[in-house]
Amino acid sequence: MDNIRERLLGCFATVFPDLSAGEVPRASMSSVATWDSMATINLMMVIEEEFAIQVPPEDLERLVSFESVLSYLQRAEVPAA
Amino acid sequence: MKFAEAIRIVQAKAPAGARPLAVALACGCTAEQLKVFLTAHLKTLFPDRGATVAAGLYGDCLGNLERLRATRAEALAVLLEWPDLDPRLGLRAAGGWGPAELADIVATVEAQATRFEAALTRAAEAMPVALCLPTLPFPPAPLMPGWRLADCELQVRARVYALAAHAVRLPGVRLLNPQRLDQLSPPAERLDVRADLLSGFPYRPPHASTVAELLARLLQDAPPKKGLITDLDDTLWRGLLGEVGADGVSWSLDRHSHAHALYQQLLRSLAETGVLIAVASKNDPARVEEAFRRQDLLLPRDRVFPVEAHWGSKSESVGRILRAWNVGADSVVFVDDSPMELAEVKAAHLALETVFFPTGQDQAVYELLARLRDLFGKASVGAEDGIRLASLRGAAEQRQAAEAASADRDAFLRGTEAELTLSTDKRTTEPRALELVNKTNQFNLNGRHYTEGEWRDYRARPDTFVYRVSYRDRFGPLGTIAVLAGRRERGRICVDTWVLSCRAFSRRIEHRCVALLFEHLQAGEVAFDFQATPRNGPLQEFFAGLLGGPPAGCVCLPKATFVRSCPALYHQVKVVTHG
Repeated sequence: MDNIRERLLGCFATVFPDLSAGEVPRASMSSVATWDSMATINLMMVIEEEFAIQVPPEDLERLVSFESVLSYLQRAEVPAA
Repeated sequence: MKFAEAIRIVQAKAPAGARPLAVALACGCTAEQLKVFLTAHLKTLFPDRGATVAAGLYGDCLGNLERLRATRAEALAVLLEWPDLDPRLGLRAAGGWGPAELADIVATVEAQATRFEAALTRAAEAMPVALCLPTLPFPPAPLMPGWRLADCELQVRARVYALAAHAVRLPGVRLLNPQRLDQLSPPAERLDVRADLLSGFPYRPPHASTVAELLARLLQDAPPKKGLITDLDDTLWRGLLGEVGADGVSWSLDRHSHAHALYQQLLRSLAETGVLIAVASKNDPARVEEAFRRQDLLLPRDRVFPVEAHWGSKSESVGRILRAWNVGADSVVFVDDSPMELAEVKAAHLALETVFFPTGQDQAVYELLARLRDLFGKASVGAEDGIRLASLRGAAEQRQAAEAASADRDAFLRGTEAELTLSTDKRTTEPRALELVNKTNQFNLNGRHYTEGEWRDYRARPDTFVYRVSYRDRFGPLGTIAVLAGRRERGRICVDTWVLSCRAFSRRIEHRCVALLFEHLQAGEVAFDFQATPRNGPLQEFFAGLLGGPPAGCVCLPKATFVRSCPALYHQVKVVTHG
């Protein structure tokens, strides 16, 4: 589980380079000004690459924060790195 | 390149003082991710430039093409897809795929392709253009089963190829080769329906990266290698000359050695486009000459210079060949079937590219031929390419004659009957000047390279001049061998770029170039934007000879200083102001 969290932290750091390490776990669409619809697409592309998954469009609407993405990946039982 | 890696490359800061490289991207899909990939590949290919990519509006490739050509971008990348020709050929429209609609789609594509041709023509007048034809599968619109090619699909594809044929004839347009794209990105693994419907970005990331990389390569237009040194036994031909004799070596279908014929054929083709071909072989020189006399050899002996055939080390042979050619090792490829020989040569000439010849593996030889095409391929073949080998032979003869006459250098130069032509027309679109600027290292004022767009912008400035110098003497023509580019600034002449081909050394052409600047521009002083590079030693020596010491920074040369140091010049000079 920790491994998923670390990898997800890396994904967020790539897409939102202005966030500090402490800010990433609390990041959400409402708290991060640069997290717009295009950033969501970029974030999903990076996450899909990293975890070798495909996120269905209907799930995207729920992935609005670091925590919600982390829970989603933990439930999805993504492959190990 | 993965998307995350591309993002990190884009986020990395450009080196301090990096010149900007602004590229426009015209496409009809959501461009954000494509922009990231294209920027990342441009930054990788142009590490000393600050690459940025601007894109246009979603769903309007043609409009973007028209708008972006009016920007100050240095180059334009155009990525066409089927919906750009008719939205009904995309997945985000539902305008009908019935028989009536299909006929209308063909008519729409015809009209839209004509508009694209006109827009590309206008864009090509403003900047270099890299064009990619539709890369995604044709949608399942035709009424026939997918394994049968339908008339409407054929008509649409034919119209796109007609558009491409129009575009590729425009100066400055480079077309992405679909065959290479097919090799790198399998057609069945390109389309991402989910992403297209979700966000308007129809590509799977690996395909987007590949398209962006090839577009960036088209814009880079890397200079080709200049020379190829080949081994003979089990490379140029099958068999060992020392064992089977000249009649025993082969390159034929019936002796299962036809792959060597293909290699010979490629070398001949390279030689005909100006690539220098030499031989480095551990062999009996008499037997080698005997083999080269065979009438069925596809690479004629007179296309090869020099031939180093003896029992000494190949690294020494390569060293002598490089000196005879007077080119740097980084411009040369060495081909041999022996890994040991390749390693020995590489150890002595680190910058040389060494290539293994896979004797007996026909498929691998075929792949080698494709690789050599990549290394040596050029967009066009000019008159200069045809005379390169002859001028090198002439230079070798000239060196021998000069050594014989070294006691009286002036008498020798007086007798060369040298003619020098200065062309001052900077509107010309002939590519030789830029090619020479970008590939010359030794006599290069500062190592500055230009993209086609930068060069075009430079020439268009009202305060600049661009002089091309061509040369011939009784040893033969050398073609265009020098380029001087500069500007007038507050009453004095500033030279930004000056290159002289290494084929033209030892003829006092460099002195004549400076003399022409003073005479033709009626200048009292010329400022050269000199910068030492690891390889421009010959130019540094030239300035040191004029100034009495090594140059440092910008070199300001008063006419009086030059006149005092300039040796006697014997060239006949002709100035051409047009054409």
